[in-house]
Amino acid sequence: MHLLAQVPFLAQLATEEARLQHQYEFLSYGLTAAWVILAVYVQMMIRRERKLKREIASLRAMLEEKHGE
Amino acid sequence: MREKILYILGAAAIAILVWNINAIARLPEETRQGVTFKIIFFHVPVAIGAVTAACVSFLASAGFLITRNFKFDAAAVASTEVGLAFLAANLVTGSIWGREIWGIWWTWDARLTSALVCWLLYAGYLMLRQAIEEPTQRATFAAVFSIFAFLDVPIVVFSIKWWRTQHPQPVFWAGGSFPPDWTRHLMWNMAAMLMLGIVMTAVRYRQEEAQREIDSLRRMAHAI
Repeated sequence: MHLLAQVPFLAQLATEEARLQHQYEFLSYGLTAAWVILAVYVQMMIRRERKLKREIASLRAMLEEKHGE
Repeated sequence: MREKILYILGAAAIAILVWNINAIARLPEETRQGVTFKIIFFHVPVAIGAVTAACVSFLASAGFLITRNFKFDAAAVASTEVGLAFLAANLVTGSIWGREIWGIWWTWDARLTSALVCWLLYAGYLMLRQAIEEPTQRATFAAVFSIFAFLDVPIVVFSIKWWRTQHPQPVFWAGGSFPPDWTRHLMWNMAAMLMLGIVMTAVRYRQEEAQREIDSLRRMAHAI
């Protein structure tokens, strides 16, 4: 009798666990999305920084070369 | 020295955010929305960051039109770009929250629509800059457009007050309550996001200055 009474409780526990798991899944989607968007933007800035530095260096080298001539 | 300060500020912001994720995960569930409610700890700080960036962009654009100093133009484009990234994060986190709580990814509600329009306007600002080559003309047109785009910001902020919307009312200025412990974590995240926004804007500002240097070097190369 005691064991049988526990069954609905276990079922309720399983439902609660599934609900929590589902909610945590959405929470993790939210947090991941926020971090990914910011990380992608930072990555874009790093790339742009490198490109700008390369461009400045090549233009300076070109100008020095022209001055030398 | 300035670079070091920026790196320290950025590292501190990331450290606060990582520490806070851990602390937020341990907070109890919200009564009605459960665990999903915790998205607010990122959704609101990125929104505050986006609004702050829009205000900076507005002031910088007005500053450029008054002084014709290109430093203001650089500040405007830097803060607009960072604000756009923050607003994108805000829209996406809000949509994920809405899917779980409302059962839909998107609704054409006043707050959501005005925020999307705001994102499109600022994306248009960046596209406009790409389309004009002459620096003074580009900066002037962009500044005027930025001031026009800023008109949407108060609409986004106050839309939940002015119209009946599906979006929840603000927790702090609409008589809502938030446990002090939760408020502390939200404030930490806001501070961290603002710090991150400052670092990103400063880096982007420096890049814009570098771009100006490239333009002048090119002009010199053509002149020789």
